[in-house]
Amino acid sequence: MTALLEARGIRKSFAGVMALHFVDIDVDAGETVGLIGPNGAGKTTFFNCVLGILRSDSGVVRFDGRDISGLRVHERARCGIGRTFQRIELFAESTVREHLLIAERTRHGTGRLWKDLLGMGRPHNDEIARCDEVLELLGLGAVAEAPIEHLSLGQGRLVEVGRALMTDPKLLLLDEPSSGLDRKETADLAATLRKVQSEKGFAILLVEHDVEFVAGFTERSYVLDFGTMIAQGPTREVLRDPIVREAYLGVPATEGT
Amino acid sequence: MTLATGVGADFLRALLQGTPPGTVYALVALGFVLTYKTSGVFNLAFGAQAYVSAAMYYKAHTEWGWSIIPALVLSVFVLAPAIGLTLERLVFRYLRTGTSVAKLVVTIGISLALPNIFELITNFKGVVGQTPAGIVPNGSGVFYDPFGVYPFSRDELTTIGVAVIAMLCLAALFRFTAIGLQMRAVVESPRMTELNGIRSDRVSAVSWALSSTFAGLAGVLIAPRFNTLAAPDFFNLVVVAIAAAILGRLVSLPRALAGGLGLGMVIALLGTFLPRWVDSNPWLRPFQENLTPAVPFVVLFGVLVLWPAIRRSREVSDPLSGVDPPISSLALATRSARSHLIGRVFTVGVLGTVATIVYFRADASWMFLVTQAVIMATIYLSVTMITGLAGQISLCQGTFAAIGGFGVYQLATLHGMSVLVAAPIAAVIAAAVGAVLSLPVLRLGGIWTAVATLAFAFFFDAVAIKFSWVGGGNTSLMQGTRVPRPVLGPWDFADDRAFLVLAVVVFIIVSIVVVQIRGGTIGRTLRAIRGSEVAAQSIGISPARARVVAFAVSAAIAALGGALLSIHQKNVNYGSNFSPVSSLFWLVLVVSLGARTIEGAALAGAAFSIFDPLILRGTIFGWILRSPKRVPGFFPISPKWRLILFGLGTLQFARHPEGAVEFWRGRTSRWLAARQQSAPPAPDEPTESIGVDGAVTS
Amino acid sequence: MTALLELRNVSAGYGAFRALFGVSVEVQPGEAVAILGANGVGKTTLARVATGLLAPTSGTVLVDGVDMSGTATYRFARAGVAHAPEGRSVFATLSVEDNLRLSFRQSKGRANTPAALAKAFELFPMLAARRHQIAGTLSGGQQRMLAMARVIIEEPKLLVADELSLGLAPIVVDEVYRSLRRLKESGSALLIVEQHVGHALALCDRAILLDRGTVSWSGPAREAAERVATHVFENDSGNDGDAAAAAG
Repeated sequence: MTALLEARGIRKSFAGVMALHFVDIDVDAGETVGLIGPNGAGKTTFFNCVLGILRSDSGVVRFDGRDISGLRVHERARCGIGRTFQRIELFAESTVREHLLIAERTRHGTGRLWKDLLGMGRPHNDEIARCDEVLELLGLGAVAEAPIEHLSLGQGRLVEVGRALMTDPKLLLLDEPSSGLDRKETADLAATLRKVQSEKGFAILLVEHDVEFVAGFTERSYVLDFGTMIAQGPTREVLRDPIVREAYLGVPATEGT
Repeated sequence: MTLATGVGADFLRALLQGTPPGTVYALVALGFVLTYKTSGVFNLAFGAQAYVSAAMYYKAHTEWGWSIIPALVLSVFVLAPAIGLTLERLVFRYLRTGTSVAKLVVTIGISLALPNIFELITNFKGVVGQTPAGIVPNGSGVFYDPFGVYPFSRDELTTIGVAVIAMLCLAALFRFTAIGLQMRAVVESPRMTELNGIRSDRVSAVSWALSSTFAGLAGVLIAPRFNTLAAPDFFNLVVVAIAAAILGRLVSLPRALAGGLGLGMVIALLGTFLPRWVDSNPWLRPFQENLTPAVPFVVLFGVLVLWPAIRRSREVSDPLSGVDPPISSLALATRSARSHLIGRVFTVGVLGTVATIVYFRADASWMFLVTQAVIMATIYLSVTMITGLAGQISLCQGTFAAIGGFGVYQLATLHGMSVLVAAPIAAVIAAAVGAVLSLPVLRLGGIWTAVATLAFAFFFDAVAIKFSWVGGGNTSLMQGTRVPRPVLGPWDFADDRAFLVLAVVVFIIVSIVVVQIRGGTIGRTLRAIRGSEVAAQSIGISPARARVVAFAVSAAIAALGGALLSIHQKNVNYGSNFSPVSSLFWLVLVVSLGARTIEGAALAGAAFSIFDPLILRGTIFGWILRSPKRVPGFFPISPKWRLILFGLGTLQFARHPEGAVEFWRGRTSRWLAARQQSAPPAPDEPTESIGVDGAVTS
Repeated sequence: MTALLELRNVSAGYGAFRALFGVSVEVQPGEAVAILGANGVGKTTLARVATGLLAPTSGTVLVDGVDMSGTATYRFARAGVAHAPEGRSVFATLSVEDNLRLSFRQSKGRANTPAALAKAFELFPMLAARRHQIAGTLSGGQQRMLAMARVIIEEPKLLVADELSLGLAPIVVDEVYRSLRRLKESGSALLIVEQHVGHALALCDRAILLDRGTVSWSGPAREAAERVATHVFENDSGNDGDAAAAAG
């Protein structure tokens, strides 16, 4: 059986500097995988190559058995790749529910001008019900009508998750979800994500600095350093690897497993 | 070999003939590059600044009889830098963190306001039918003919000399002096410059003073080129100069100089040789006269669309911009549904009352003005669509409206169709043009979209309207572009009262279209894209597709309004209604008052048509005081105030892109909320909230 | 003895977002201090407050005993506080030479600029070969060396260095730290913000650990390594044998 996401031999350089050096990453359906590494290791570059924001210099990205290397960003999203952002990207002047509504609407085909003109572009009750269902699942039911300018950072991140969920993704890419959150908020976020994942059954690829979060959340991890894969395997074992510690701390570890 | 000699001599003559206008383009292009390089602002007000100095020079030298040197010092070395310093201190210092689009809109506002402020203060009436004097005695009367094929006037030689010297001085400034280096550094990152111990605000003040002085110098030098002295000429020249400057990627001074000279020469060469080719290739004939003046706009449009490196070349962001606080998010109107409804009912009530009074009581001239206001409001809904909803700046809405006007002229007057059928067809044609245009243009994004649409507007202005199948060609020159009023069953719209009703009905229909789109899938999609393009893409939205729809609908609305305006005036009146400069004024009006709402467009229509007679002439005070005699003595106020007020109204665009109407409504409702302290307390202010850029996406 | 730089109970943030809560830090003349902590704990904000890029919302910033809270950034620079910011820290549109010239003209004066330039190119021959190249086209490591050349010649009283090793190859990081050591030996004080702790602790005398915008620990550098190891890999802290990571 082939993996859900198969990235093979991804290579990318900027102005002669190698950012990714023949990176292979697989994510199977329904599993939770971490991608860790120190600052500037190439995690975000890899992310962008999978999403189509950057084109890799060489290598292939297959999703669900299909080569998506040539697709544009929104086309890849429609294949079933959802994402959240490290620096929150929400739609100004919209309420929480509207974020989910537009995602739901986009999934069901594109807007037609004549439908809008006849007033059929307004939110339908069944759409609102589907959005509210996801909002309840994420614990955002109480703020459904709130403009996003009034949310906390943690809630904003959940809105991003909810928005991605409305597109019914097979794979959710989380870009540093703990960034800017305190310890408790991070734990809450992890719990919520786990709950939603068990209900919806999508796979997660998590890019994260926070080693603690990754250790508690993922089964399997890849470690990048200077664009090269330096370790992979079960997360706990990977984190014990002296090479990984050295990459993180910049000091040679004296002993390891 | 006589033929070869003849061609060679003609070639040389054309090159020399193209040199003086080429130098003028080059001079303005140099100034434009200088401003962009030292302030980072794409300064469309450059032409207005040049005009003000030229007018000051004329005033001092010709009207007051000052001699050349003091007049030059006053206009170029005192007034021009003073204007630059004022602009820096009062306007651009506060826009530093604004988007480049916001700055562009502000410079458009300034370019409308500045000449009027000057004319109001100095009581300058403009010059018509007389060539302004240059900066050398008897400049247009003495000629030199170094090659025996083309005589240069003394003014032309002066301009050539000054342009070359200016280029060398500026190059030296950037190469050898500390301040030249500091100016370039500040444009890239004021913060990082400060880390080097340099006062960035002082450096930008110097930048503005310098580039404004250069604008003034350019203005005084190029004034003798025209036989009038009017601000729009200078604006047109700036658009031509942008074409030259863009060849040097807006940063290279030598290339701007070469670009300007090259444009002048290409135009002269085409003027010389095109007629000969036309003799052997008759199909070229329509292009012969029309294409030559359009060369700069074709170059500008072509370069923008076909040379993507240009627009990517200078998007170096400030690495320390994270230090600045996030741009304050829009004051989201957290109005209750009830107050929302009350607001709507109030607006409709006021408009209904006004309409009834006008319908039964107004005389012919007020009827005309109110009808025009309603039609303009319809056109302005096209700006609501493209700028308010899609967040793009289009400077060719006048052109789309003109397509509507010429559409009914062609279909109704020349092909005998009913105007009521012709107008929707014209709208569909405009939508098609808009859709085709939007594909290359909206991909550019930000200020480049604005510049490309401006180039399109000027191209249409210079070329398209002269074709008989667009503007009527020779027929229209003799008979005008007349358009009939329609008759529909029992209603004869030749009656002004009936036509007012028609205009109101069209406005209501178009308003409903805009409201439905705004509340429907497309509106939501556009709002998502405006909020965050990357996030919109991440849920599968194609930004390109949504924007094409918005642009096409916007073009159709503008064309429908333009058709209606032409039917109302019984003539297309391209020059006074739809010229490229009118597009600028429309944008400024709508953006000042509110680009997001129907009310904003309606008010903008009123501001266009009846602000002047109602407020500036003091008529409204006559009505309130129940006697025209009791109107205070300082009325009538000069109509220039309209351009000044709304031009300066764009200044708030950077901070409050929602416009004055929404801004004051938000203020008022907050004030009302504050007064009702006894009512249940408002929810606590969030301690931490997400900064979301509410500005127009670039 | 007056501290060269003193942050007293400083809070700071961006708009509504608070990044620092009542942090106090002191740097004595000639001393090297490391600010350590995970991503997003406020290290960069601290560096920005220390050099005047960001005004504190409360608390005081003293340079040489003078209260500088809220004054313009250029005054900090003129008082001898230099900042090597994180990420791109050179003017990408200026040439290598112009980058240096801009800075030296201000700090050394017109007359001494050529000598300063010559010295910079002597210390960094790589830059001499590229003196007319536009800095934006240099590689990340080369840009970092350009930024280092600038501060080394200027010899500020205090250098605040923000994440200098970020995204650089180990060999470049080594070179950057050799430069910092040279600067320290010439008498400059250093405030080094780092996520990559090994190099920083080898160079610094003291270390301060930040956690979620507050100081969670401070002490001698040699004790810091162990602290950081347990801090970053806290989840593993039960396995003491694994957690011990020795610093050189």
